[in-house]
Amino acid sequence: MLKSGRKSARPDIWLYLHFPLLPLETLLPQVPTEQAQKPIAIVNQQKNIQRVLCCNNQAAAWGIESNLSISTALALCPELEVLPRQVEQEQQLLQQLALVAYSFSPVVILNNSEVWLEISGCQQLFKGYDALLQELENRLRYQSITAVNGIGQNPVVAKLLCGSEFETQLPDQTEIQRRLSNTELNLLETNRKQQQSFKQLGLNTVGDLLALPRSALSRRFDSELMLTIAQLNNEKPFVAPRFQPANTFRDLIQNPQGIFNKESLLFPMKTLLQRLCQYLMARQCHCREIEWHFEPLIGESQHMQIQLSGSQNNWSTLLMLSRLQLERLELPRSIEQIILHADQFIEAPMGVFNLDLFDDQQIAQQSCELIDSLNARLGIDALSQPVLNQNYLPEQASTLAIPGKHSSTAFNQKLDETLDEKQKAPQPLWLLTDPALVQMRNQQLYWRQPLTIISGPERLCGNWWQAEQQRDYYLACDSKGARYWLFRETSSQRWFVHGLFS
Amino acid sequence: MLNNIATVLSRQDTWRGRSQRLPRRAITTGHNNLDLLLQGGWPISALTELIPQQPGIGELSLLLPTLKYYADNNQLCVWLDPPYQPYAPRLASADIALDKLLVVRSKNHAEWLWAAEQSIRSGALLLAWTKQPPPRYADLRKLQLAAADSGNAAFLFSAPSALSAPSPAALRLELKGMEVNQLLLTVRKQRGVAGGACLQLSLGEANTQRTNLTLLPADRHRTYPIQQLNN
Repeated sequence: MLKSGRKSARPDIWLYLHFPLLPLETLLPQVPTEQAQKPIAIVNQQKNIQRVLCCNNQAAAWGIESNLSISTALALCPELEVLPRQVEQEQQLLQQLALVAYSFSPVVILNNSEVWLEISGCQQLFKGYDALLQELENRLRYQSITAVNGIGQNPVVAKLLCGSEFETQLPDQTEIQRRLSNTELNLLETNRKQQQSFKQLGLNTVGDLLALPRSALSRRFDSELMLTIAQLNNEKPFVAPRFQPANTFRDLIQNPQGIFNKESLLFPMKTLLQRLCQYLMARQCHCREIEWHFEPLIGESQHMQIQLSGSQNNWSTLLMLSRLQLERLELPRSIEQIILHADQFIEAPMGVFNLDLFDDQQIAQQSCELIDSLNARLGIDALSQPVLNQNYLPEQASTLAIPGKHSSTAFNQKLDETLDEKQKAPQPLWLLTDPALVQMRNQQLYWRQPLTIISGPERLCGNWWQAEQQRDYYLACDSKGARYWLFRETSSQRWFVHGLFS
Repeated sequence: MLNNIATVLSRQDTWRGRSQRLPRRAITTGHNNLDLLLQGGWPISALTELIPQQPGIGELSLLLPTLKYYADNNQLCVWLDPPYQPYAPRLASADIALDKLLVVRSKNHAEWLWAAEQSIRSGALLLAWTKQPPPRYADLRKLQLAAADSGNAAFLFSAPSALSAPSPAALRLELKGMEVNQLLLTVRKQRGVAGGACLQLSLGEANTQRTNLTLLPADRHRTYPIQQLNN
């Protein structure tokens, strides 16, 4: 919980953000472009009557305004496009907008479609408050969101002072006080009875109200209004939960017309990845895996996972990897909904900003990117890394594993033991996954060509708890100087080639 | 603009008149005689084609020092379509960090070419084995150009039949096994030098002792009664 009325050396500066066209702007990206040029109104069900909530400029030109009933609106403008309000999608958009606000200040409140920011500590980072406000306006405009703001010393004042446009100049304390006193009382959120008594008392502005002695006010008005007055004067704190980014990321883009080819999928995918990166920046973490779902109108949905060997928070790399993997995917004919999901995060490594200073880090980054792109294009089973295991049988001592799944420390520990073995006997560089049976021709071993034993044997016993394997390993060569690693199974007396020295 | 000129001048293949030629950049092969033959070692920023007469004669041991050099340098070594599985204990005993090795299997020629080019361009050491049918000249030229841009060495292992075909590789070496641990290298193509030079290279100690099959198994593993040993 957050209390705004804390005592600190620096006075708080609260910014209130209001999005007057939010219901409309939530739905606009899903509306086809030619239709978006026509008058559109968003309606909301209120006590059996559908009322206009907001409308675009084209509709406003016809005289449509909020709170009109739907029949009146249609009478004014017969070609009006009426869309029902989508509360759930609005809430999702609000979460995104709160995330944008979160990248400007650590103190953000999101309370029923209202967003507050406390920006008093963020002056240095943005080189002045005016620059901060300007940047915030740009970011919101980039998301095609209409926003208006209010600035005050506490959240209640900021909300009360919310104007009709986005203010990018920070007013000083006296200016805020002046504006507050001049604010009309009907903007104060109270019931009708209280508003009536304001009129009877001849009170028009907030200044008139605050000028009256507190004892006189408490006799005339209810406790709710008294709390608001105390909050306006910074005497009582405004209590609201602080906004925190969600633990997992899930976002979607809907396209009711359907997307028919992979190229046109890339644009919505880019938008989603940019949102993901915004989320990652806000949480100061990197992701290890992302998952895409492509859902058609009818039929089975397709999904693809993108594993990252290193951590990433760069949308262009993620888009490149998604694109490579998308080429291998069989997609349904038309896709209506694209979902991006990510829930595996790690903290962003320190010093990520001076990446260029360290050559070593850059090489490691390049290696990770290479593994990821090979992974995306060829599939996970195309890549492997040799791994050393603690086992006597050669085929179990050396196995192939998925890259990045084994640690390099294991390698160092086992190195000493292998060094001892090195002195014992030479080892091949190539291993045949399945030992190849050697034929006998004229008392001579024959595999592709006649083989001669050079040295040996060395006995290996292993797995006595399963079928016991006892093998004698020999070094053999052919006439051309190639060396082979042979073994004879003691139980069956058969010869096998197990490796090439190369 | 200045930047662009600097990039062009730093390339190996920019001709700047006779006196101003950049010293050829190369990394040591780990064998002194071979370094002399190749004028410093394996060329970097170029594709090197190795043509062993048959697999197993020591073509991979030749590259172990280079693999170690790259792995120690924290760079990835990509093995594209190796004929067999690399044996981890041998690589570990040569002090090569196993997590720097990446074995890649391609399903078709397009994938092979793409993976090879990506690896070269991402600053990894590439060891690629060609498959049948052998890659076309234009494909190999693509790899050679990628190597020239990246400044890394890249190795291609071709089948003996490739010898009769032309290749854009900067260096082509034919490898023949003489006897055990003895490798005969013949330079088939080298930039700036006429080909045809030969070198016999010894990889480790030669063990020429031959054992007759009828004499096996050796007595080493025969179990003797304990009293007999004590006597």
